[in-house]
Amino acid sequence: MSYLYVMKTQLIRSFTYRFDVYGNIIMQTIIMVTTAFFWRALFGSSTFSNGMTADSMLTYTIISSAMSVLFTTGVERRIQRSVELGSISVEMIHPINVFGVYFAEDMGTIAALLFQNLLPIIIIGSLVIKVPVIASVSAIPMFAASLVLSMGINWLLAAIFGMWAFTAVQMDALIQVKKHLLRLLSGSIIPIWFFPDSLRTVLEALPFVYIYQLPLDIYVGSTLTEDILRRMVIQVIWFAVLGTVFFMLQKRVLGKVMVQGG
Amino acid sequence: MRKLLDTLGHYIDVTLCNIKLALMVIIEYPANIAGWLISNPIQFIVGFATIKFVVVQFGEINGWNYGQLAFLYGLSVISHAVSMMFFVQGWFMGYSVIEGDFDRYLTRPLGVLYQFFFTTFNIFGITDLIPGIVVFIYGCIETGFRFTFGNAVGIIVMIIGAAFIRGGLYIMLGSTSFWTKSANDFGQYTQEIFDKSTMYPISMYPESLQFILTYLIPIGWVSFYPVSGLMGIETTVGIGSGNVWITFAVGIVVMLAAGLLFKIGLRRYESAGN
Repeated sequence: MSYLYVMKTQLIRSFTYRFDVYGNIIMQTIIMVTTAFFWRALFGSSTFSNGMTADSMLTYTIISSAMSVLFTTGVERRIQRSVELGSISVEMIHPINVFGVYFAEDMGTIAALLFQNLLPIIIIGSLVIKVPVIASVSAIPMFAASLVLSMGINWLLAAIFGMWAFTAVQMDALIQVKKHLLRLLSGSIIPIWFFPDSLRTVLEALPFVYIYQLPLDIYVGSTLTEDILRRMVIQVIWFAVLGTVFFMLQKRVLGKVMVQGG
Repeated sequence: MRKLLDTLGHYIDVTLCNIKLALMVIIEYPANIAGWLISNPIQFIVGFATIKFVVVQFGEINGWNYGQLAFLYGLSVISHAVSMMFFVQGWFMGYSVIEGDFDRYLTRPLGVLYQFFFTTFNIFGITDLIPGIVVFIYGCIETGFRFTFGNAVGIIVMIIGAAFIRGGLYIMLGSTSFWTKSANDFGQYTQEIFDKSTMYPISMYPESLQFILTYLIPIGWVSFYPVSGLMGIETTVGIGSGNVWITFAVGIVVMLAAGLLFKIGLRRYESAGN
């Protein structure tokens, strides 16, 4: 119940500034439309080796833009700020788990963004670019399951990474490194089909491609069902591994908290 | 005239002092320097890798080969680095507005906009220069670009103009905080839009978008038009190799417009808690 209250507070806070909402929508629309035109110009009427066309890439772009809303995380900066200011000690006194609060805050933000960004992006994308229809009806449950897992992997990676702040304190630069690498390696800006085979093989063993690439592959139908199921198994394994690492590290870092030299 | 020169000299003195202070502040955190030295180049390596993967798959991008794209991207990153050093604070203007930081600036005998940008000089912007210069040199070698005196001057003029365009747009976006009273910074979005419109030739976009990027939000002048001029590539707008001077002029206009918007916005500044 306490976590729901935190989530609700965050949700209300996210609706405070109307200009921010419009600004975010305008900015994201510009990015989405330029990306769509980029792929349309590149593909022309050609077809990629896995059957992808300019039309599929437009769907990929709209859904990728919409998904980016669901992958919004504030946990890294939240941990950094709490450690830097020392407010982490007060947060730890509260009778609820600190990381549970961070998770609830992020869920609150995402809940607000569903209306503020995700819906407008899909509507504008459908009107300006194309209606992003899923490859087949049977892919819907797989897409939904994969998307939930990818949100989990994304948040766990952010939280584990954020725990670094307990040692490094100042980690703005590290957050940027992670952000840029994730953008390239997850398939968010460019599908990994375009990567060299050797790099693609390596990436398929890492968790990043299970954030954007797998759900997007399911949505646009760029791969066979057997392949999707195999990759979903790997996705579940990564979710379990990261979850275990998160719970193990959580205990250790909270035990290391040092506030105002004490 | 003498008074003007004295004032200018005073501003230069203060700027040098601030740069020295900024250097001393960053030396305080050596690990942070190392972090930015790694993180900023990675951002552009990712961008360059993206271009590479796309070019490998599609051969060329709208008639531009890999060398030409490297040249375009390199110069774009260099102008980005310069804008980061001098104007990145524009991204965070909203925080200064809602936290009342302008109170201090308003009581000092120096221009408010000048103080806002130069009292927190961003020395880390230099770390963006490294990948920019590397990619640019690579582009020069690949395209066989000849470094004549005229070309060298053209490139410097272009970089200054492009940095002004970027900086002016940061100030304009930041100035909206005077009206919205919001601390939301659109820095990351702005960066992404700049990436999309300066690392690839804008001629690949539909005419309507090209029109917007040429006349309304003149990002096309940051890299596409001047680089086309330097490379001898024909464009629908511009005067060939003279495009670098148009970039400079556009930069001045954008910066003046941004300064005006900031000045109007500052009148609405209410200080913190009032």
